[in-house]
Amino acid sequence: MIDPMNRRLDRRGFLSGATALSMVPFLPTTGGLLRLDRKTKHVILVAFAGGVRTRETLGTPANVPNLVRMAGEGVAYPRARTANLGHFGASLSIFTGISEARGIRENSRGEDPTLFEYARKDLGLKASDVWIATSGGAQQANYASSIHPDYGARFAANTLDGDGIFNQEFKRVLDAFGRPKEMESREREVLDRLRRSLGGKKSAEDAARAENDAKVERYILDELGSGTSELRGTGSSDAKALRVARNLLSIFRPKLLGVVLRDADVAHGNFNAYQEVIRRNDAMLGELWAAVQSDPELADSTAIFVLPEFGRDADLNSRRGLDHGDGSDDLNYVSIVAWGPDFGKGVKNLMEVRTIDVAATIGNLMGFQGRYMRGKKLPKLFA
Amino acid sequence: MLLEAILSLATLANIDDDVAQDDVTRAIPAYVLDERRLRTSFLDLYGRPPLADEREVWRGRGLDELLDEALASPEFFGHWLEEELYYLLLIDNFRPRSERVLRLPKDLAEENIGVRDALTMVALSASFDRRNPGPDTFVTVVLEQFLGQNVQARPKDLEVGKKVYDGIESKFLGKKGRSQADVVRIALGDRRALEQLLLRAHDRFLRTQPEKRALKDWVRTLDRDPYAFAKIVRGWMLSPAYTERLAKKRSLPNHGFVRALYVDLTNRQPTEDEVDRIRGAMDGLADAGPLRSVFARLVVDSGQANVPKKGDIADPTAWVADLFGRLLGRVATDEELKDFVTAFHDPACRPETLLLALLTHPDYATW
Repeated sequence: MIDPMNRRLDRRGFLSGATALSMVPFLPTTGGLLRLDRKTKHVILVAFAGGVRTRETLGTPANVPNLVRMAGEGVAYPRARTANLGHFGASLSIFTGISEARGIRENSRGEDPTLFEYARKDLGLKASDVWIATSGGAQQANYASSIHPDYGARFAANTLDGDGIFNQEFKRVLDAFGRPKEMESREREVLDRLRRSLGGKKSAEDAARAENDAKVERYILDELGSGTSELRGTGSSDAKALRVARNLLSIFRPKLLGVVLRDADVAHGNFNAYQEVIRRNDAMLGELWAAVQSDPELADSTAIFVLPEFGRDADLNSRRGLDHGDGSDDLNYVSIVAWGPDFGKGVKNLMEVRTIDVAATIGNLMGFQGRYMRGKKLPKLFA
Repeated sequence: MLLEAILSLATLANIDDDVAQDDVTRAIPAYVLDERRLRTSFLDLYGRPPLADEREVWRGRGLDELLDEALASPEFFGHWLEEELYYLLLIDNFRPRSERVLRLPKDLAEENIGVRDALTMVALSASFDRRNPGPDTFVTVVLEQFLGQNVQARPKDLEVGKKVYDGIESKFLGKKGRSQADVVRIALGDRRALEQLLLRAHDRFLRTQPEKRALKDWVRTLDRDPYAFAKIVRGWMLSPAYTERLAKKRSLPNHGFVRALYVDLTNRQPTEDEVDRIRGAMDGLADAGPLRSVFARLVVDSGQANVPKKGDIADPTAWVADLFGRLLGRVATDEELKDFVTAFHDPACRPETLLLALLTHPDYATW
């Protein structure tokens, strides 16, 4: 049976009659349909990655008081099936909605479009509307976009790796050169003219890109002067990703913001450090959540999803750490927490779902159709 | 003048002719190092453009002469090793620091060790182990990165490899082993390890996939002679395929961009630490353009860049033309030259403004 509130209209359907237009609260964009029947206008997707078992999250509430509160005010799916495809592939799967078998150290774009590309292309979003804050350096920048011919880099998310950019060592290198001089407007005009002269004609896309680049340039320089670079210690890469996400939220107010963590993988050699990372990440997640709740524009219009890419082994290894390769339920099932104005409150859904369902759910929530996604909308999520 | 004449003749002769005649018989070198080939060859061989004095020394000479020198140098092997470490994501905190690994470029240049054994040493380093902790990750990475194997397609190899890693004697890839080190030795001893190594290098130098037969020949050569890698690269760079590759520009990786910027602006090579820090930051952006631009502005405005004062530039046209050759590895079009020289005379324009226009243009970030 079709739920009339959740049904999707394609362009043809939308244009089929004025009656439909008057009854269904959608707004057409370049390729998709912004859903006016939803309160959600901003989506934050946190890949709490690095391999995190439910045992140390919702199974140990003291580790994650913020996540527990979020689940209490939203919907939790503690039986989310996933696959041990390596951190890179399994995290990528969250963003593409397809199980991606990728090499663990593979450092290239995927072939399937990410939800960032769907959102930008189908909803006509600008580059500054879609962001990812990462913690894991070179490899994670590949989550920004795919090499899919219909999507690809021109619909990529802006990506910022918190630890890569906002660290003391990089700051020191920059400080050795000083700060760039503010360019006078006349000189700026000359520079722009020279840039236009190089390599022939420029398109509107080039102009939009140049505008976005200039904004990002300014943001980077401002952020370098903030306290993000000061975050140190176990789990600091993840902490920076979450801090950057919070700052991006207040400056750019992205429609779609991804956050990718990874420090929990310290578990291979140190179980205690793993728990410490989880606790720190929960605290930073709490900071991000508080920023949303205290912002009048974001508080009632932002949805948050949190999930790991996979869990970890059931038993400790010989180093008193936790690997990921035993095929146990601890590894293959994780928890998804969803919080937002359109979702149920305090619901624990024990149905088996999949981590790749989150991308399709976000598509449904925002109004784009992930045509290559294999996941389904999460069941009984909406209030 | 002689140099210009040679370069001009070489261009006319489509740079593939071996000999040209004038009053005095002079050989025009095969694959003459014009601006494009010189910059590209340096970036391919050393991972950086030429320093000012190197540009003076090599411009107009033959690529074969440069190869004689480069392919026997620790810097060439150092660059090869850097690329391999990056491929294995042994960067930042996971960069190998042991003396044995640090000595590899010199040992490779002196033929004390071959490229396959060098990679084996890297895979046996503590850094590789830290980067790939636990049997599942370790064996998977060895199979995927060194042998190009799809682990999911042949899960048995992974299972056996994990046993060997854990010290249980088993037959892994057809050979008996019972330790973590055996996993590495057996995998790197596999013929596919050489194939993958050569495929990566071939893509870096020629940007194509080789024909199967040719690849087989190179694998055989390298299997018989562990020091043959430099000879194989020499063959690639002195082939028409390398000339074709010059037309296939590709984005400079961030570490290449950082090195290029230091060399082009300060005429010095950056330290490894400088490269790592800035590269790490740039790697954190899916599109590093904005940060590259920030960094170029920083260096240009720092007072550390070699930028002449406007009043000291006697011939702006020649200066601009030289900038195009040096930074973009190409000749400016008439229109570009005119626009740049006109801008130069604008009171609001500094020499730095012209430099920035070139350095922040996508052309500069390709090679």
